[in-house]
Amino acid sequence: MLHQTQLARSAAVDRRVAAPRNAFQTGKLRVAGVQQLSKRVVPVVVCQAAATDAPAFKGDLLNKSYYPTGADTANANKRWYIIDAEGKTLGRLATLAATYIRGKHLPTYSPSMDMGAFVIVINAEKVTVTGNKASDKTYFRHVNGRPGSWSIETFNQLQQRIPERIIEKAVKGMLPKGGLGREIRLHLKVYKGAAHPHEAQQPVDITREISLKPKLGPGKELLAAAKK
Amino acid sequence: MGLKERVIWKLAKGFRGRAANCITLARQQAEKGLLHAYRGRKEKKREHRSLWVQRINAGSREHGVKYSEFQAGLRQLNVQLNRKVLSELAATEPFSFQALVDQVRFMRGAPGGARGAGSSAGGGGGSGSAVGV
Repeated sequence: MLHQTQLARSAAVDRRVAAPRNAFQTGKLRVAGVQQLSKRVVPVVVCQAAATDAPAFKGDLLNKSYYPTGADTANANKRWYIIDAEGKTLGRLATLAATYIRGKHLPTYSPSMDMGAFVIVINAEKVTVTGNKASDKTYFRHVNGRPGSWSIETFNQLQQRIPERIIEKAVKGMLPKGGLGREIRLHLKVYKGAAHPHEAQQPVDITREISLKPKLGPGKELLAAAKK
Repeated sequence: MGLKERVIWKLAKGFRGRAANCITLARQQAEKGLLHAYRGRKEKKREHRSLWVQRINAGSREHGVKYSEFQAGLRQLNVQLNRKVLSELAATEPFSFQALVDQVRFMRGAPGGARGAGSSAGGGGGSGSAVGV
C-alpha cells in the first residue's frame, strides 16, 4: 500500500502529464472537419524549423538517415566560442573545449567528419590546478631528438615559460588521436592575456558551462542532504 | 575444400599487392574479409545505436536535460520513440525534439527551475489539491 503523499504525488504527476498544453493534445482539433467544410486540403504544419537551424537535407527524409556532407564541415559555417581561463581548473576547462571542438555538443555530431566549432581560450597564464599539482605536475619533452636530451619541467615552470602550451596539451589529450584529431587540434586558439584577434568571428562565451566540483565532497548522502 | 576459386577471385578484387593475384594469399585474405564482414554486420548495429545515443544526448543537453534524465522521462511519459527516430528528430527536426524535451522537463519539475525545488513544490501542492478533490 503506497504512502498517502506518494499516492498524491503520483496523482499530481498524472494530472500534470494529462493536462493538455496545446490544441493537438486535447484531441479536439478536427482538422479533417475543417478541411471538409472549406473544401480545401491544407497541409498542417506542426513544426516549422528555421531554415538556418536544421541542416539542409536533400533527399528522402523519411527513409534515409542524415549524414553530413563535405559542405557541412566548411570552416565558414563553424561557430566560434570563447572561454576565459582565469582561475578555472585546467582539466575541466579542457574537457569543455574538447567537447566543442569535436562537435559533440551538436545533434548532428558525426565521428568521421569535422562538425565541431572553434574555441578561443584567453588568460591562459591564469589557469589553475588543484592540490599540489602546481609544483608536482610534470611536463616531459624531448628537446632535440637525440638520446638523453630530454627535459622535465613542472606546471609552474611551464606556465612561466609558455603558458599556452599547458592548455594545448590538456586539450590535445582529450581529442581523438589520428588524422582528424590532428586537424581539429588546430581549431583551438589559446592566448596569453585577454586580447585575441578573433573579434570579427563574434565568439560566444561558454565559460559558465565549465563543470564545477560539488562543494560538499564525494559522499552521495551529503549531496542528497544538500539538495533538500 | 573451402571457397571455390572463382568465388575467391571475385572477393579479392581490389586487394593490395599479391593478395589480389596469387591464389594462396587471395584465399587467406578473402576468408578474412568474409569474417570481418560477418562481425561487422553485428557491430554496425551496436555502433549505430551508440551514435544515436550520442546525438540524442547532445540534442537534449542543448535544452538542459541529460540523456539519462531524458530517457527516464520518456519512459515515464510512455513515449515509445526509439533512439533512431529520436536522433533523427534531434538532427533534422529541432522544434519537434524541443517539444519532447519540454514535455520531460515539465514533468520532472518546472522548466528552468531547480529539479529538487520543482518536484517537491509540485508534490506539496499536488498533495494539497488531491485531498481537496
